[in-house]
Amino acid sequence: MSEHRSISPHLLRARSLQQAADLAGDPGRDARFIAGATALQLECSRGAAPPACLVDVTALADLAGIAETEGGGIRIGAASRLAELERNAVLLRRWPLLIGTIAAIAAPGVRELATIGGNVATGTGCLIPTLLALSATVEVFDKGVAVSLPLRDYLGLRPDRGRLLMAVVLPPMPARHRVAHRKIGLRWGFTPSVIGAAGVLALDADDRIGDAWFAVGGGTTAPQLLDRAGAILRGQYVETVDWLALREALVDEIEAPSDRHRSASYRKMAAANALVAELGGAAAIEALCKAPAIKRFMPAAVARPAEIEVSRPALSDRWRLRPDIKDKVLGRLRYLTDHRQPDMLVARIVRADIPHARIVSIDVSAAEALPGVAAVVAASDIKGLNGYGIVLQDQPALCADKVRCVGDPVAAVAAVDDATAAQAVALIRVEYEALAVVDDPEAALAPGAPAVHAAGNLQRELRFARGSVDEAWNRCAHVIEDVYITPRQLHGFMETEGGYVVPEADGSLTVGVGGQHGARDRLQLSRILAMPQERIRVITSLTGGGFGGKDELTVQAPLALLALKAGKPVRIHLDRAESVVTGRKRNPMRIRMRTGCDAAGRLVAQEVDLLVDCGAYASLSPSVLETALEHACGPYEIANVRTRGRLAYTNNSICGAFRGFGANQMSYAVECQVARLADRVGIGPIEMRRINMRKPGTPGYLGQEVAPTDRLFEMLDAAGASDLWGKPRGPSDDRRTVVGVGMALSHQGNGLGSVVPDSGAAELALSSAGRIEAAYGLDEMGQGVVAIIQAAVAAAVGCDRDDIEPVVGDTARAPDSGSTSASRGTYVVWKGASLAGADFNRQLREAAGKLLRRPAEELRVAHGGISDARTNSDDLLISFRDLAARLAPDSLPRAACSFEFPKTDYRAGNARFIFAFAATLVRVAVDRATGQVRVLDLDQHTAAGPVLDPAGYLGQMEGGGVQGLGFTLSEDILLEQGRIVTDNFDSYMMPAIGDAPERARVFALEDLDDAFGPRGVGELGIGSVTPAIAAAIADAIGYWPTVTPISPEALLAAVSKLGPTP
Amino acid sequence: MNEIAAEATATTRFRLNGVEQVLRVAADARLIDLIRERFGLMATKAACRIGRCGSCLVLVDGKAINACLMMGWQLDGADIVTAEGLDALPEGRAVRAALMTEVAFQCGYCAPGFTVALTALFRRDPLAQEGAIRAALAGNLCRCTGYLSILRGAATARAALGGQRTDSVSCPHDQAAKENHHVDSRNRARRRAQHSGD
Repeated sequence: MSEHRSISPHLLRARSLQQAADLAGDPGRDARFIAGATALQLECSRGAAPPACLVDVTALADLAGIAETEGGGIRIGAASRLAELERNAVLLRRWPLLIGTIAAIAAPGVRELATIGGNVATGTGCLIPTLLALSATVEVFDKGVAVSLPLRDYLGLRPDRGRLLMAVVLPPMPARHRVAHRKIGLRWGFTPSVIGAAGVLALDADDRIGDAWFAVGGGTTAPQLLDRAGAILRGQYVETVDWLALREALVDEIEAPSDRHRSASYRKMAAANALVAELGGAAAIEALCKAPAIKRFMPAAVARPAEIEVSRPALSDRWRLRPDIKDKVLGRLRYLTDHRQPDMLVARIVRADIPHARIVSIDVSAAEALPGVAAVVAASDIKGLNGYGIVLQDQPALCADKVRCVGDPVAAVAAVDDATAAQAVALIRVEYEALAVVDDPEAALAPGAPAVHAAGNLQRELRFARGSVDEAWNRCAHVIEDVYITPRQLHGFMETEGGYVVPEADGSLTVGVGGQHGARDRLQLSRILAMPQERIRVITSLTGGGFGGKDELTVQAPLALLALKAGKPVRIHLDRAESVVTGRKRNPMRIRMRTGCDAAGRLVAQEVDLLVDCGAYASLSPSVLETALEHACGPYEIANVRTRGRLAYTNNSICGAFRGFGANQMSYAVECQVARLADRVGIGPIEMRRINMRKPGTPGYLGQEVAPTDRLFEMLDAAGASDLWGKPRGPSDDRRTVVGVGMALSHQGNGLGSVVPDSGAAELALSSAGRIEAAYGLDEMGQGVVAIIQAAVAAAVGCDRDDIEPVVGDTARAPDSGSTSASRGTYVVWKGASLAGADFNRQLREAAGKLLRRPAEELRVAHGGISDARTNSDDLLISFRDLAARLAPDSLPRAACSFEFPKTDYRAGNARFIFAFAATLVRVAVDRATGQVRVLDLDQHTAAGPVLDPAGYLGQMEGGGVQGLGFTLSEDILLEQGRIVTDNFDSYMMPAIGDAPERARVFALEDLDDAFGPRGVGELGIGSVTPAIAAAIADAIGYWPTVTPISPEALLAAVSKLGPTP
Repeated sequence: MNEIAAEATATTRFRLNGVEQVLRVAADARLIDLIRERFGLMATKAACRIGRCGSCLVLVDGKAINACLMMGWQLDGADIVTAEGLDALPEGRAVRAALMTEVAFQCGYCAPGFTVALTALFRRDPLAQEGAIRAALAGNLCRCTGYLSILRGAATARAALGGQRTDSVSCPHDQAAKENHHVDSRNRARRRAQHSGD
């Protein structure tokens, strides 16, 4: 929630060293040197006040240029951009270590601006360890004179704002040398530094080490030249170095901090390992690592099911471009947050900066008096219900008496521009009386815990039992009990929440805010505003990503209140930090699971105790809890089951819907348990699943009737037939990594379930322009519903996909088709097209027949118009355009339908009826120096019925897969006492391109052979990635991770030989 | 020190999509805000505003730079091309066509940033292989696709630009190879730097 400054800093372009130093060093001025300024936005976003004066030093000749020195070294002017260094031929040839280090700093776009001086002068730059190891000196302008000193000494100087770094000077590289550098981060691509390490060995002609320099630093690790470790190696021969002893010496000497991401001991160990691995190669790595005997599973030969590979080359004749791709690639598409119109005000929201407090008073008078402010709203402006929520309305639109989490809205302002709105926000005085913070679900349910809501912190408890669990344990030959932890994942849609509200001249309201169910947003707004639904038009598409995170209301209510009060259009677009702090997340889960099987591997008993963090308000969390429990046994038949699930209110960030919706978390635990038991039994993971899987045609987990189609056995066959098992596994040739393969199954229910109203609707109409408008009240968030609409409607009507104009996400133009969630959109589109398509086809032919004086039976709907059914010719008798032009507006063909989503009649709990199925296989490499995991291969075998749009199907599976990869390896919103500490992409680690699998394939078994059409795959891609990765790690190193995101620290401990205890 | 006139705003001259602009801008005005709010060019997206997502990449003197990091005082003399202006460049056209063919995007919010980054890459190195492509896109986040479709789009663009060579096959386009020799040698240097040097 960045505060905008009202006064811009002054800029001075320094013309001399003295002038620059005088200005920056002047204690009366708040001035500082500036070159690339790439760190400035970051610092300000973290709450630092910007300096009043920026002293631009980039024009100073003494700071410019890269030039070789007489002694064979090189002088790099401090104002040299990192990208310039990367392009410098001399550095490339003679100091590749430096170039390699730079390549791991930030990203190319940032390196075009960032300078070596800025990297070094901050003392935290990632170049520093390398420069220290290269024995760099620096030239500094200090107290009126230019001096030269070792970099290490410079870093030890007391900070002085007037001291100007002029250049970094590298001595020549030793004639013979060996070098190492490794930046260890939080993910593979574009990462902040956990620790960076560099080493240089100077060798004589006999490979004896003449001198050795080791250094660490970067990020929160202070720069440090490691003298003792260097001294150990002096005089040794490279071939006979005791690498384990060197590792211990390095670990002993490195000083590093702990933070929320990594411990000090991890930093030391990983840095030391990396140096040793880089310098010593395979032999050194073997010396550091355990070599456990792992029997790696090889499946028995099995016939591969008749899958297709979903790709453009494989399906070239079916590959179509979605209708919006062109405008998206060209950047022409206007998102709702891009909308501008005259007289438009800009809104900002006043939010609680405290996790739990009573509101004593809110004073908006100063803000209202500020020129340029058009409206200020608080709870007292709400005429209707001050509460919303899809399941229950426990969340205030604007808090009146209490705030329950950081970011809770208490007021909002609309002003002529953003700067004025920001100023007004700063003028609003909210007095709080702090309450004790409940920051853990376990603590929330403890007796005497402070109540987040008056009714208590146990939002919901669900129990289910079958058979006799207590007695069944006696019949188990093997029992595994563990606790699986899952993260608070951020949706991370690229377009943050926002949009506009326009009060129309007729008194109605147009709300254009990205969402996933316009009709429900309208219902919720109507309650809050006390305004009839008919007078509210909600536009929810197109929006830049949802994943469940825009299912609930976001900014609509405060925006609408402001627009109504000001009588003018108002817009808002949350900045990333505000979005992260206030948006809903994936519910963190703690899953205690005890699973038993008999000696043959037959599952006998399953006990699950699930504790879910709800955050401050319910939103869809109760349904997430229920869905998780619906997957408590996965697709396996277990006679004796007992489950308990509890959802606890806390003052943590609010949670709710997120792709997978509880199923993927529970599948992680179940699939790991089953595979671990298979190891105990001594059978393979495929065989174990085969003997326990529910048979097609038998009831679902809760005893409910499910669709008769099941493809999990085929998915299991696909997993068994996978060529990934035969790819290289075990230690890699260079010994840097250990490679493993793992698999897991998932079945994802489609639809909202048996106890929730779940209906769909569609309208097909020929527009006066001759386009076939297919209107669905679904939302296009990127997932490609517009392509599905074109495919399904074209198939049902008989026209071409390009004849179809999808109309979505607008309550004024499309019927209520239900929410765009729960993988239901594809079915809704297909069903609507099937029901309305035949009628519409007939109407088209009849209308054409009247004009052409031909019976409708003789006509056929073809691509672009109507053709003669009695010939094979595609020649049109009349085009849609001509047909529309010749029909009166009220006689244009139009067909509509509404229908229920397929359901089971089970009512004791929420249960799904139709499912999609998948087997995920991954091949991972575990880095033996750092414990980091890289996904090499990601194969997803799927059975979700006919593939309507190959590109969309592929995209959903791949996108879900990589989102699951992030969940598994790097993503977690970290909080401290209810405050989020990972509020932007510098600290919250979604997969970057460097984290994407090296190879990925998606396969589809299209034949589902039932009446329920194509299934949605919006959630299928994320369903079993986590347990597949866990299994692959176990295959590689023999360790089953139970905490996600999987900690490299745990894996490093599992692969490392522990050093001698001091 | 009073002879030094430190200024909060300055008259700045730059080119934007080929058109000369003269503006008085605040020293700390961000390029992204100028592009979107002063010029109404909405392809450039603000999704993190700290240089960590690449949604706001624009070409500055041919290089892809984060418009959220670049400030008013750095703009004088710059030649800026936003996603709206990429059609003027052959590499821009090839990149866009390839990304469409592969249906490389879903929500599309990150698309302009990726097209700018890829255009800058292929202007520098029309033969860029996957490693170089991943390196060039290191600063671009996409949440929908998992990047795989974007990598396919980049490979298709490379093929369209004539760089069908892979690392194992010799390049038929000698001239292009010659022009890009320095890039290859840099890539080699990078690889060397990651291993033990000698």
